[in-house]
Amino acid sequence: MENQGWKTHRGDGRLSRKLVGVVTVTSLLALFIFNDMVGDWGRLSGGWDNLVIFFNESLWPPDWSVLEAQSYPVCDQEVEFFCSVAWLGMVETIKIAFVATALGFVFALPLSVLAANNLSPLWMAIPARIVLAAMRSLPSIIWAVLFMIIFDVGTLAGIFAMTFYTVGYLGKLQFESIEGLKNAPLEAAKAMGMTRAETAWHIALPESANQLLSHLMFMFEYNVRHGTVIGLVGAGGIGLYINTYLKLTQYDKVVALLLVIFIVVVLIDFLSMVIRSTVTEEGDVRRPSWSTIFLPASISSKYHTTPMIKHSPNEDE
Amino acid sequence: MKQVLAHLHDVSIGYDAPLIEGINVEISEGDVIAILGPSGIGKTTLLRTISGLIRPLSGEIELAIPSRGGLGYIPQRLGLVGNLSVRANVSMGARVRTSRWWPAVFPLPKVFEEDITKAMRHLGIEELAAQPVRILSGGQQRRVATARTLAQQPKLLLADEFLGELDDDNVEVVMNTVRAAIRDHNSALIMVEHHEELAREVANRIWRIKDGKLIEEMVV
Repeated sequence: MENQGWKTHRGDGRLSRKLVGVVTVTSLLALFIFNDMVGDWGRLSGGWDNLVIFFNESLWPPDWSVLEAQSYPVCDQEVEFFCSVAWLGMVETIKIAFVATALGFVFALPLSVLAANNLSPLWMAIPARIVLAAMRSLPSIIWAVLFMIIFDVGTLAGIFAMTFYTVGYLGKLQFESIEGLKNAPLEAAKAMGMTRAETAWHIALPESANQLLSHLMFMFEYNVRHGTVIGLVGAGGIGLYINTYLKLTQYDKVVALLLVIFIVVVLIDFLSMVIRSTVTEEGDVRRPSWSTIFLPASISSKYHTTPMIKHSPNEDE
Repeated sequence: MKQVLAHLHDVSIGYDAPLIEGINVEISEGDVIAILGPSGIGKTTLLRTISGLIRPLSGEIELAIPSRGGLGYIPQRLGLVGNLSVRANVSMGARVRTSRWWPAVFPLPKVFEEDITKAMRHLGIEELAAQPVRILSGGQQRRVATARTLAQQPKLLLADEFLGELDDDNVEVVMNTVRAAIRDHNSALIMVEHHEELAREVANRIWRIKDGKLIEEMVV
């Protein structure tokens, strides 16, 4: 007689065995290629000792004179720090990142609307995607080199390079957010006879505003970090100073500037998290704390527990 | 004489396979039509096909209404913009009464402001005008979606279970307001409704979907 009772689903070991097999083969293949590329493993001998010597003799302690006023031009500020290499370089990097992010956002927004296939027909979406992909395909450092040929070494090349990359990268993030929108508002708009521009401006952008803002903050963080890299090729900002100290083999000053960058990036990261948390869906997500930035999530969560859900008085009719 | 707003000629609807076949109906000014039938039988698909969101598998649908603003649609999930205020959502209805060349980034002409306020007042959501829609209850959101349609003044309104989540008092308020709008603007309403008693109370025509056919029933 057929069993009429509960159906039992037993775990199938085949899937996990397959997974182990795939992981093992992939790892072995990676090790084989790695071994082939390294060739002579003898080069590693003495590497650690070299690093310790380099660290002790050239890197540590950092030379904090980068926080003091430069000898030239003469400092006219009351606080000397504001004439220091660290301050001037960092402020310039942040300015480049800010301008590039803002300009990039302005150009990325219409392109992302054109590229989103729930707002635009394919004949519009595909060219817009190609433009975005082209702008994203070159890293900002290559754009910086190209723009330095046009504008010469300096901030302008940095701004243009970062703006180009921002348009490509932010545009992609944004059109994916728009494509992820719920269908109902877009369908209601289409049935009503709203134009594409009206649907984009009055429905798609407000509906995805939280994500757009989140992407914007992420892009600003990213541009501050990358401002350092493009500075290395002469596109202005703190990277330009780092490049100079590298050429002069003043590695202790390089370390000091890298620590300054680290602190600024952490501060911007914190600021970004605070701003993003204000636009989360329900507004009941607790603000981030320092522990969430510095500690792993497993440890941080012990001190930073999820709050009780708040109910708005308007929820009950 | 009542003008015909829509005509369905031998229409079959569905996605891959037909859900309803051989639909031959006319929709005229003043009609309040309730579509009845169990879940998954094609009621929503019928509304979506009439609205132009999906194409019929065969047959022809003629609409004698303006392509912009002539058709109002309240989807099952309402289609509101949660991040925008109640007023901004209701304003979207009035926006399609402007010319399609009116720039999207421009505010609405002042002449529409009174209609928007009136629509919110009729549905008892005027006090919520500045609230973002996402914090409202399901019932309040339904009234916002209805107010958006009132501000639009469409000739043909398609509503998918728009009376759900409303208490009895609000069903009466919403239906009285919608019926008055239909009378004032010589328009028509097609609504999907699960509650037969309610459907018979508010509609003057009933379409029942059964065995892949649309059957028109007499309303007593």
